[in-house]
Amino acid sequence: MATETHNRPVIADAGPPLLRMCDVRKAFGNVEVLHGVTLDVRPGEIHALVGENGAGKSTLMKILAGVYTDWTGLMEIGGQPARFHSPRDAEDGRVAIIHQELALVPYLSVAENMFLGREPLTRWHTVDHGRMRADARKLLTQLAPSIDVSRPVAEYPVSIQQLIEIGKALSRNARILILDEPTSALSDTEAGRLFDILRELKAQGAGLIYISHKMEEIYALADRITVLRDGEYVGCRPASELDRDELIHWMVGRQIEQLFPKHVSQPGRELLRVEHLSLTPAGAGRKLVDDVSLCVRAGEVVGIGGLMGSGASELLGSIFGQYGRRPTGTLHVDGKPFVPASPLHGIDAGIAFVTNDRKATGLVLSMSVLRNMTLASLKRAAPRGRLSGGFERTLAEPLSRELSLKAPSLHAPITSLSGGNQQKVILAKWLMTQPMLLLLDEPTRGIDVGAKADIYELMNRWTAAGLGILLITSELPELLAMSDRIVVMAHGRLTAELSRKEATQERVMAAAV
Amino acid sequence: MAESGTKLRTILRSATLYLGLLALFVAGAALSPQFLTMDNQRDVLWQVSGNGILAIGMTLVILTAGIDLSVGSLLSLCSVVCAMLLMQRKWTHATMVAVPAFAAGCGALAAWLTWRLWPGQGGRIVRRAGITGIGLAAIALAAMWAASRVPHGFGVIGVLLLVPPVGLLLGLISGAIIAKGKLQPFIVTLAMMVSAVGLAKYIAGQGGRVHPIYTGDITTEAVAPESFKLLASNITVFGKDLIPVPGLFFAGSALLAALLLSQLRIGRYIYAVGGNEETARLSGINTDRIKMLVYSISGVLCAVAAVLYCAQYEQGKADAGFTRELDAIAAVVIGGTSLMGGRGGVGGTIVGVFIFGYLGNILNLRGVSTEFQSILKGFIIVLAVLLQEGILARWIGDTVRRLRRATA
Repeated sequence: MATETHNRPVIADAGPPLLRMCDVRKAFGNVEVLHGVTLDVRPGEIHALVGENGAGKSTLMKILAGVYTDWTGLMEIGGQPARFHSPRDAEDGRVAIIHQELALVPYLSVAENMFLGREPLTRWHTVDHGRMRADARKLLTQLAPSIDVSRPVAEYPVSIQQLIEIGKALSRNARILILDEPTSALSDTEAGRLFDILRELKAQGAGLIYISHKMEEIYALADRITVLRDGEYVGCRPASELDRDELIHWMVGRQIEQLFPKHVSQPGRELLRVEHLSLTPAGAGRKLVDDVSLCVRAGEVVGIGGLMGSGASELLGSIFGQYGRRPTGTLHVDGKPFVPASPLHGIDAGIAFVTNDRKATGLVLSMSVLRNMTLASLKRAAPRGRLSGGFERTLAEPLSRELSLKAPSLHAPITSLSGGNQQKVILAKWLMTQPMLLLLDEPTRGIDVGAKADIYELMNRWTAAGLGILLITSELPELLAMSDRIVVMAHGRLTAELSRKEATQERVMAAAV
Repeated sequence: MAESGTKLRTILRSATLYLGLLALFVAGAALSPQFLTMDNQRDVLWQVSGNGILAIGMTLVILTAGIDLSVGSLLSLCSVVCAMLLMQRKWTHATMVAVPAFAAGCGALAAWLTWRLWPGQGGRIVRRAGITGIGLAAIALAAMWAASRVPHGFGVIGVLLLVPPVGLLLGLISGAIIAKGKLQPFIVTLAMMVSAVGLAKYIAGQGGRVHPIYTGDITTEAVAPESFKLLASNITVFGKDLIPVPGLFFAGSALLAALLLSQLRIGRYIYAVGGNEETARLSGINTDRIKMLVYSISGVLCAVAAVLYCAQYEQGKADAGFTRELDAIAAVVIGGTSLMGGRGGVGGTIVGVFIFGYLGNILNLRGVSTEFQSILKGFIIVLAVLLQEGILARWIGDTVRRLRRATA
């Protein structure tokens, strides 16, 4: 893959760039968040826009998409000065954004979604469903030929929905396509298919702006890379001339010696033993977890590899008590038999569960940093039910120091923190329950390199202190680097168990499909 | 920086609410010379107390991202029960509902207290047996006491003890169905609203007749004891009838709810359940119990409001609380508690209740018809929410900017 990247011909400067943004500044109130940013995208180019969370990528893209209108600077599209006053304006200027969270109406059909707001009409001003379906089918022939455009969008998986979104953008003749973390919910095969389509669009002369945290993707796809840091423009270079270490250096402004600083420690006593665990959730026809047995010892990280839908998340949920008494099989925690009847039982047994979705299951977004941190520990810290005195601060302050949490104050709303710091708040919340076993489901999803490195370092510290960690991650380098042992799951079953030495990307993938 | 921005905005937003109340107060003083008089202020407190008590319970429910449409019906039902308990000296439908509810409530309370206060020793089985035994004993004692009181009729204390358990029980039923059945609060409390009115009419008898508590049919029924009039009186301070008793109940329930929300773990859990139920559940919170609790509290407060209604209007009737749930919801929403749950509190609700109360009062003083008052109240609800969400400010800002651009 690396050789291919370096041999990619750099497109010569021919004609005006498709998009030029120059010295763009934007302030919220008195706080300037973009300090003169520059970006240019050529036709037939995939341009990666990279930076840590809070670097200003989203703000810049919202300006381009017409969401923010009060900015200063210069923007040219196809050589002509342009300024969008609304998202509709941007669409007319042939800019389309494919959001991280998809913006489709689940119960409308594929065709209805694609033509939402601009339905073709008959003479009688009723919706011309026939033409709409035909047009939709035509647009999707290349992207997703097998799709039935009259079915509701909700019947298709996220990967197909994303293609529908791209089709929708193409239906509006978009020339500049912004993709914000498009692979965060895709399996590797699905991502591969998406990349083929993006390359095809590029060949047709579209300009693609690709936002991602995943290095592999950036180097596999991008022709050039623009880096932002803290609202500043750091630089732009062809991908072939900017190596990984330098890119990270540009992003974080410091050299990260080693992305995965793994310390292998000596495993101790057995903390968790799972035997023949199966789970059939209510309403689901098949077992999501099927006869899984494994163990975790003190001081070790057991990594679980697998694709989306492998059942790994459900396995962790079953161990923690998320599914109540539904799972079958036997569990031993610290040598004692354990029935995870509810999350409270899991917490009392010394288990902590960091779920894979910060917003949906990790945080209470309407609460402050402090209240999110103490939520799972109130029962233990305030057994009489009184929340008096400053005991919450007393609990939270040492932890926020330990995790080097960057928050304006502990009373700040949780939503004012970056993704990486929100993740640290979740970790702090679970550490506060004084667990001996940490179940981590994608603990570094969607967070920037700096925060990732912090979390890896913390994992080392916790295993050194005798905690056991069961880790799910879809990023193979992370899985291989951070795990002492790796088990692989596919379709709810355990398909491989590999030692740190045996594990390679190929072996894990072979077992995962 | 971003934080100080949001902080300023939250302060401004909560200030909008108080400024709105202040503006209304000033407008009232300007529009009517009577407005500022002690008597008028006392009247306002009289008028808002009932809605206030309902709105406090509604606040707790809405904070959990729920809604309680049954509060009006529960008020109706409890007013009928209360009136009949006061007047009748024999077993009626009212006593047959209230006495078991009271006994069950006493039993649950005794069992809970034992569970909380019993030190760990004695072993699980002994402890369970003890709790059950004490609970059952409390049920028996309470039932015997209440039954022995039936031939004598009930006074103030009697109804204040017997009516709230009825509200509690019905609230608990709603809450249990919502929590265990995983159903929409809207639908469950709508069903309770319909059923409770039916039950109220059935208990009232003769297709839901009105029970006037002092002028009842003298030949067959006695009237309520004079002591009950205490609940509809004013407390005299400095030789003036200053504080209405219902106002004290309102203040008391607001204070207790505020303490619950800010000082107790349960209060934090209420916010967490409304903010993100799944996160709350995965954090070890028994979300079912929290939901059952808030609907139960709402039910109890309906019953309290019903007793005060009986005292104030000297009757109990099956349509006493007709559409009262809407007033309560409106006050909560004006007070800034989000219908999505997790945000808001009792303080805002109190202001919301008074904004509603003062508005009605000013319009009454100006002689505006009740029909027109209703229309205006609808406007005020929308206006208040627009103000709080900062939407109105944004509209104005946008318009000003557009005008400036047009002139430039």
